[in-house]
Amino acid sequence: MEKTKNPARTNLIIKIVILVVIFTIGAIAAVEFWQLRHYKETIVASEDLTEIKWLSDYVPSLKNTWLDSPVFIFDSGVEGGTVFLNGCPHPYEPASTMAAYLMIENIQIDKGKVIIVPRCNYSGSTDGMLGDAYPMFFSVESEWGTSQFRIGDRYTNPLDQWPDPFTYVNYPSGQNLAYQDIRNLNRTYPGRIDGTVTERAAYAIMEIIRNEGVDIAIDMHEAEILYPVTSTYVAPSKVLDRETFLATGEMNYYEPERSSLDIAMMAGMNLSDQFLMKSASSPNTLHGLSHREWADWSDALTFLMETPEIFIDKITGPRTEALMTEGKDEFLQKVTDKGLTYFPYDMEFGTPMWYRTGRHLTGAMEIINWAGMFYEDIEVVCSWPSYLEMQELENQGIDSVGYYLKNPDDPANAENVVTVYCKPVEAGK
Amino acid sequence: MVFLENVIHILYFVMAGLIALSMFKSFFKRKANKGYVFDIMYAYCLIPFILRVLYIK
Repeated sequence: MEKTKNPARTNLIIKIVILVVIFTIGAIAAVEFWQLRHYKETIVASEDLTEIKWLSDYVPSLKNTWLDSPVFIFDSGVEGGTVFLNGCPHPYEPASTMAAYLMIENIQIDKGKVIIVPRCNYSGSTDGMLGDAYPMFFSVESEWGTSQFRIGDRYTNPLDQWPDPFTYVNYPSGQNLAYQDIRNLNRTYPGRIDGTVTERAAYAIMEIIRNEGVDIAIDMHEAEILYPVTSTYVAPSKVLDRETFLATGEMNYYEPERSSLDIAMMAGMNLSDQFLMKSASSPNTLHGLSHREWADWSDALTFLMETPEIFIDKITGPRTEALMTEGKDEFLQKVTDKGLTYFPYDMEFGTPMWYRTGRHLTGAMEIINWAGMFYEDIEVVCSWPSYLEMQELENQGIDSVGYYLKNPDDPANAENVVTVYCKPVEAGK
Repeated sequence: MVFLENVIHILYFVMAGLIALSMFKSFFKRKANKGYVFDIMYAYCLIPFILRVLYIK
């Protein structure tokens, strides 16, 4: 007897097969997204570490959110200035975090206080750029093994702050910015204690600067070489008259007694035999950025540093791990040859991770030294690996970033191992 | 303000869940576009909603 076909049953089976295939692909992607979200970086803090605080110590509502993050404090006990170093404001600029990690692991402090936040937008580091395909991690080779670090996004992860508005209005300037900038930490300063989670993180950073008496505040970034502000210090020449603004809402700017821009220019000139470092004045008319708002809403001398990171240029070839760690790309070379970039890019050398990390280490130290020379009362005496030391190691074929990273599995380092996460993690977990 | 932010945040996750349910229903039963190509499209479009509801992506 001939079997009768049941079209409805066949249709259902095909639908289920389609669903299973698509869901399997989705599950594979989900595992990777989960790994990126929950991966924990481990570092070994220097013996000079005094205390670890959290952003939630400054804004309690950040506790148990993905924007909470550790704040490393190194206090010499000798009266001097206080320096604040901000890493990872845009997590897809990871040389800023690597520089912060190398500082935390290797700092020796003799005068003043140094405060370092290596992942100030922790949430943004747990995600990738929407619509862009690139590796989740990059590796660093050390004598003792391989360490893995995240390449994140520019913005706070939408899992932690969603939805976005049609237009973001910066507080308190009232300036309209792009909608996604509501999740951009470096557009939300000075922040709000009761705002979005990104605004609260921005407010926590302002509170660190104000409450810890920070004299010198440095924000570490990276920039495309098609962007004019690459390879640059940005510092304000004028600051907001806060009293007038709070009383009348009028934004008047005046030249402060102590000038960040003078220090930035001296530092940039002094670095010219090592690498190109331009200086730019922070505009009064663009709000939400660290170099503008930190200066306007605290008494610190403020600086933003940019290294050249071609990984985030939009016209490169495939975004691979090698593009992140070596920075070699033929398309950008062609564009540079036509004089269209703002950095003398040479594909032979590229923009390797050690070069960008070393630039931040020495760029920050140069600012600290010049600030101390300009104004003795804020002098800070400290040291960490320098660009030239890293260059020397690279010339010998040694991965200089890995050279300065300590082994968290070495029992001798057990006391100083810290897991950088959005909440405290017990050792060994 | 923080409380309101959190309520709106959760509401959007609920909305994502409702859209996912609606698409799941339409995957099996719909009046138009009944071809298998549309089945693949419906199944594919479901993924981001499910990942969001599961707090993965």
